[in-house]
Amino acid sequence: MFASVGQGVRRRPALPAELAARARPVSSAASRLLPLPAALVPLFPDGALRRGSTTLVAGSSGAGTTTLALALLSAVSATGGWCAAVGVADPGVVAAVELGLDLRRVVFVPRPAGAWADAAGELLGAVEAVVVRPPGIRVQAARRLTARARERRTALVVLAEDASRWPSERDVTLTVGDVAWEGAGEGHGRLLGRRVAVIATARRPAEPPTVHRLWLPSSDGTVTAGRSSTTVLATTSAAATPART
Amino acid sequence: MDRLVALCCPLLQHEGERGEEARRFSLVLRAVDEFCPWVEPVALGICTLPARGPSRFFGGEERLVDQLGLAVNAVLGGTGPVQVGVADGLFAALLAARAGVVVAPGETRDFLATWSLAVLRRPDLAVTLQRLGIHTLGQFAALPARHVLARFGGEAVLCHRVARAEVGELPGVRDPSVVRRLREVRGELPEVTPQTGFFGGASAGDVRAAQAVARLQSRLGPEAVLAGRLDDGRDPAGRGRLVPWGSRPEGRRHGGRSTGRPAAPWPGRLPPPSPVVVLTHPLAVDLVDRAGRPVRVGGSGLLSDAPARLSVAGGPWRPVRRWAGPWPASERWWSGRRRRARLQVVDGAEAAVLLAAEGGRWWLEGRYD
Repeated sequence: MFASVGQGVRRRPALPAELAARARPVSSAASRLLPLPAALVPLFPDGALRRGSTTLVAGSSGAGTTTLALALLSAVSATGGWCAAVGVADPGVVAAVELGLDLRRVVFVPRPAGAWADAAGELLGAVEAVVVRPPGIRVQAARRLTARARERRTALVVLAEDASRWPSERDVTLTVGDVAWEGAGEGHGRLLGRRVAVIATARRPAEPPTVHRLWLPSSDGTVTAGRSSTTVLATTSAAATPART
Repeated sequence: MDRLVALCCPLLQHEGERGEEARRFSLVLRAVDEFCPWVEPVALGICTLPARGPSRFFGGEERLVDQLGLAVNAVLGGTGPVQVGVADGLFAALLAARAGVVVAPGETRDFLATWSLAVLRRPDLAVTLQRLGIHTLGQFAALPARHVLARFGGEAVLCHRVARAEVGELPGVRDPSVVRRLREVRGELPEVTPQTGFFGGASAGDVRAAQAVARLQSRLGPEAVLAGRLDDGRDPAGRGRLVPWGSRPEGRRHGGRSTGRPAAPWPGRLPPPSPVVVLTHPLAVDLVDRAGRPVRVGGSGLLSDAPARLSVAGGPWRPVRRWAGPWPASERWWSGRRRRARLQVVDGAEAAVLLAAEGGRWWLEGRYD
C-alpha cells in the first residue's frame, strides 16, 4: 500500500496486443480479415477470421462450443462489426457481454423453426459474422450456405455436436474436448473457469492439427489462453512444440 | 413466523404531486438490496427483509439495523427519518421499526403488550374493547380466544391472534400497487419505438444490417428476431434479456461491458462466468442425495444433504461430480415473493449447469455450454 503511494505517477503501460488489435478500425469492407480475441488468434492460419470462410465448432453438449462460437464473434463485435446468432436457442445475454460482444450490433434469431437456412442466408452479407446451429443438416442446404458465405464475404461459424455432421466443406474445424471445470468443490467455491483443449484443423495450409489449451471461459467470462502453449498434435508425447510463432 | 427487519421512511409514505417519493423510495430499496436480495416493498416508504441470513452475514441483528440505517440515511441525504427494527412477523416488525428496537426471538408478545389498540387500525373494535376497560394489546391478548370469537367475530379473532404473536400480520398493510408504481418510476413499463437513430450516425454497415433485420422480422415475425439487453436483476434470466429487435430500452446500459454496481456485500449476484445458455422456460430437475431422497434448501440456506444425481425433465440420471452454492436470489425483487436459491452443478461429463430452487422444486435455469 505504502509502496504505491510513494511511487507517484506511474508510467502508462504499453497497450496490450489484444486491445491494440481492437483499437484498429477493422470492419471496413476493404479488409479481408476480421479480428479475433488474442487467445483465439493461434487457432487460425491467418491469425484472424477470414471473410467468406466457414469455421466448424464441434464438441459434445456442455464442452463449451457455444462459448467458443460466441467468442469468435467478440472482437468483430467489439470493433464495430455486426454479428448474428441463428438457431442458438436461449443465448445467455450476460455471458455474451462478458465474452466481449456489443449487444447493440448482435442479432439473435434463437428459434427460426424450419427457416434456419433462410434466416442465416438473409444475414449472410448483411453482417460480418454469423453463428448458426443447424437443427439437422442436409447436404444441399449446407453447401448453399457455405457458398453464400463465400460469395457475400461473411464469416460463417457452424455449431455441431460432431464434426462429421456438417456435410460441407469448411476452412477451419475446431473440436473442443478434454473439459475440466475449476472452482467448484463439494459444496464450496464457485465455477471459476473451464479448461479445454481445442484441436484446430485447417484445410489450407495442410498442416497437422494443433492443440490449444484455453480457459473457455476464464473467471472474468472472457476466453484466455491456458498455461501450456499451443502444440502440434503429432508431437504431444514429446516436449511441447510451439506450432506457430 | 418469519423474523423480519422492517424499514420505514415516514416521509415517503404518501406521494405528493411531483411523485418524488416513489422515486426516492426506489433508491432506498436499491440501497437495502445491497444487504440482501430478498427485500420486499410492503407499501410506499416501507420494506422488509428476512433477518436471519443478512444478520448472520453482518454479525448480528443490531449491527444489521445500524448498517441499514446508515445506508438509507446516506441515500436520503439526512432529509428524512429512517426507522429500522426487527421482530417476528410483519406487524411486530413495523412497530419495532417505529420504536427503533430489535425484539429478541420469542419476545414479540411481550413487546406488543404495551402498545395501544390503535395500532391494530380497527377503530370499531378498539372503541368496543375500551368500553370494557381493555386499552392495550397485552390486555386484549389476555382474553380467552373463545370469548373473543363469541363476542366480536372473525375479524377480531385474527387481531387477537396477532396481539398474541401467533399470527404475523393483518390484512390491509401491504399495498399491492407499490410494485407497479416502482416499475413506472424505474422506467420499466414496456415501450416500443423504432431503433433507428440509436447508433448516432448510422454507417453503411448499420443500414445494411437494419434492412436485413427488418426483412427477417417481416418474414418470421417481430418476436423471432431479438436483441440482447442488460438490466439490474440478480439472476441470469432477469439481468440479461432478449427483446424483439427495435424495442427501445431505457438506454441506460444497453450493450458495452457489464457496468453493474460495485459488488454487493451479499452474494446475490453470481459473478462471471455467466451461463452462456439461459433457458426462457426453465426445465424441472430432480436432484437427489446418495439415498435417493430429494435435496432441499433448508431455512438456514443450506442443502439438506450432498447432491448425488440429477435428472433434467425426467431424463436419464446423471451423477453430480461437484457443486457450489446454494446462493439466495430473487428474480424481480420488488414484484413479489419469489425466493430462490441457486446451485452450480458439474455432472459426470464435466458439463456444468445452473439450478434454481423455488418452492421446494429444482429448475434448470442455465447451461455453461
